[in-house]
Amino acid sequence: MVMANITNMKEGNQTMKKALGIVMAAVLCAAVFAGCAGGGSGKVGGTLNFYSWEGMFPPEVLDAFTEETGITINYSNFDYGEAMLTRLQANDASEYDLVIVDDYILEIVIEEGLAKKLDKSKISTLGNINPIYKGQFYDPSDEYTVPYGAGVQTIMYNPAAVNIPIRGYADLWDASLADQVGTISNHRVINGMALKVIGESYNTEDPGAIRRAGDRLVGLAPNIRIIKDDAIHTDLMTGEINAAVMYTSQVTMAKMEMPELEIVFPVEGIGFGIMAGFIPANAPNADAAYKFLDFLGRPEVAAEAFEWLGYYCTNLAAEPFIDDDFKAFLTLPEGFNLEMEMIQNVGQDALDLHNEIWIEFRNAAGQPG
Amino acid sequence: MTENTRKARGLRAIHLTVLPIYLTTLLFVVGPMAYMIALSFMTRAERWGVTAVFTIDNYINIFQPIYLNTFVQSIRLALLSTALIALFGYPFGYFMAKLSPKWRKAVSFLLIVPFWTSSLMRLYGWIIIFRANGTLDGILMGLGITGEPLRLLYTYPAVVVGMVYVLVPFMIFAVYSSAEKMDWSLVEAARDLGASRLQAFLTVSLKLTLPGLLSGVILTFIPSMGLFFIADILGGNKVVLVGSVIQEQLMRSRNWPFAAALAAMLMLMTTLFIYLYRKITKVKDLEGLL
Repeated sequence: MVMANITNMKEGNQTMKKALGIVMAAVLCAAVFAGCAGGGSGKVGGTLNFYSWEGMFPPEVLDAFTEETGITINYSNFDYGEAMLTRLQANDASEYDLVIVDDYILEIVIEEGLAKKLDKSKISTLGNINPIYKGQFYDPSDEYTVPYGAGVQTIMYNPAAVNIPIRGYADLWDASLADQVGTISNHRVINGMALKVIGESYNTEDPGAIRRAGDRLVGLAPNIRIIKDDAIHTDLMTGEINAAVMYTSQVTMAKMEMPELEIVFPVEGIGFGIMAGFIPANAPNADAAYKFLDFLGRPEVAAEAFEWLGYYCTNLAAEPFIDDDFKAFLTLPEGFNLEMEMIQNVGQDALDLHNEIWIEFRNAAGQPG
Repeated sequence: MTENTRKARGLRAIHLTVLPIYLTTLLFVVGPMAYMIALSFMTRAERWGVTAVFTIDNYINIFQPIYLNTFVQSIRLALLSTALIALFGYPFGYFMAKLSPKWRKAVSFLLIVPFWTSSLMRLYGWIIIFRANGTLDGILMGLGITGEPLRLLYTYPAVVVGMVYVLVPFMIFAVYSSAEKMDWSLVEAARDLGASRLQAFLTVSLKLTLPGLLSGVILTFIPSMGLFFIADILGGNKVVLVGSVIQEQLMRSRNWPFAAALAAMLMLMTTLFIYLYRKITKVKDLEGLL
C-alpha cells in the first residue's frame, strides 16, 4: 500500500508544539553541553541523508536528533516508492543513508540487493518494536528493516448524509450512494477491494478472478465521484462526497476534525500495510542511520513522531506515551480482527490486468449519468 | 588573405558560437528521445527493470481498445480545449494589439502575473470556486439563479475550464504578437475599396494574423495532450488521458517499455497534427515557432 499522502495532523496545535519544541531544544542543548563538559562523547557530527515521502517526522523530532548528536539531516522526498527504487538503482544505493518506504517496495529493494543487512547491536531500542509488525513477507527474519508506521485501508462515511449503515466494501455499491463515493487512487487497493467483495485474495494471479473483480468494479462506477490520493478527507469533510476509502492518516485527520464521521473496518477483511526503514547497501554514512533508528525507537520520541504522522504506532513501548486524544487512532482497536492480508507484489501479467481493469473503472466513472 | 578564406573563417566562427546549442540539443533532446525510443522496443524484466530483448509487443499493446480509448479521450479533450481557447484567446489578443501602448503594457502584465504562482496552486483555487457550496454556488444561489449546489467539481466541464484557464495566455500572446506587427493601413485600404468590416477582417486581418493563431493553436494543443494533472485534480481522476496512463505504467505498473511506447505514439500523433494544421492552413512561417 502506498501512503502517498502524509501530512501533519496537528496543524491546530502548531504554536504549542513550537513552544514545546523550543523548550525541548533548550533542555537538550543544556544536556549536550553538560555532556561535552563531562568528557565530550555525545556529538558525532556529519550528515544523515534521509529519503522518504514528505512529512514523515515532526520538525521537533528531527531538531532534537540534531541537537543531541550533531548530525544534520538532509531530507529528500519522493512521491512514489517506485521513483525511490529507480534512483537507488541509478546510484548503486550510495546516495542515501536511510530510506523509509512501503512493504511491497521493500521486498524488491531487498531482492535487488539494495539494502544493507542491519547490525542490530547498533540499535539498542529495537526491542520496543511491536512484535506483530515483525517477520513480515518482505523481510521474514527482520534482517534489513525496522518498521515505522502501519495502516489499513479504511472506509469512512458521514452517517448524517448516508441512508444505509456501511459495514463493508460491498455496501459502497448501494444505489443510494450514487455520485457520493470517493476512493484513493491506488489500483491495487481499489481493485483489491473488489477482489475482497467477490471473496478472492488481494494477491490472486488468476486472470479470471481479476477480470471478475474488474466487472464488479465497473458496477461501482456510478457511485464514484472522486479518485485521488491527495487530501481526499477534505472532500469528505466539505460534503463533496459522503463515503470514502482512505489511508489511515487521512482517516485520523478527518476524525480529529469531525468526530461525527464513522470509521468502518470492512467485514470482508482489511488490507494491511507497513512502512519500514532500511539502510541502502552503500550508504555513505550508515552510522548516522543507526543513530537515527536508535533515537526513533525511544518511546517518547516515537510517541511524538506518531502523533504527527497519524499512522498506527509500530513501537509498543511508545503506546503509554501517546496522548489520550490520539490513542484511539494510533493504536490498533480492541478486538481488532487480525485476519488481514497484505498487498504483495504479483506477476507482471496479473499487474497488467490490474492496470486494465483500473483504467476501465476510471473511464466508467467518468461517464456522465 | 583572400575573400574566400575570410568567409570560411567567419563561417567557422558562427559554427563555434552555435556549437553549445547543438550540444545541448543533442544531450537533452535527441539523447533522451533516442533512449525512450530504444526503451520502447525492449522487454520489461519479471519483477523490476528492463531487459534488452527486442520486441514490438509494446506497440501492439497500444491497439487494445482500452488504450486506444485513452488516446481518443486525450485528443477529444485537446481539440475541445484548443477550440475554446482560440475562441476566447483570438479576439482578446487581436483587440489587445489595438490598445494604447500604456494599456497594452498593463494588460500583458496582468496576463503574466498568474504565472508567478505554480499552476498547481491556481488549479486548487478552482476547487474552492467549483466545490459544493463553494464560491460559484454562493454567488449563483445568492442571486437566486440556482436553487441547489451545481456539483461542478470533478466533472468534465470542470476539466475543460481548467485547461482553458491554464493555456489561454499562450494563445493571447501568440495572436497579439502577430496582430501587433500587422500593417493596419491594409485594413483601411480594404475598407476604402468597399469591403465591409467583416470582409476586411476575413480577407485581410485574419489572413495576416493566421500565423499567430496557428502558433497559438500549437502552443495550446500540444500541452493539452499532456496536461493530465488537470484532469486528475479537477476531474477527480475520471477522465483517463494518455499522460495519466504513462505515469501509471512508470510508477505503479513498472512497465517502462510500454510507457515509452505510449509516449512515442503520443509524440508521433502530435507531430501528425501539427503537419495537418500546416497543410490545411497553408501557413509556412509560424509566429515565433518552427
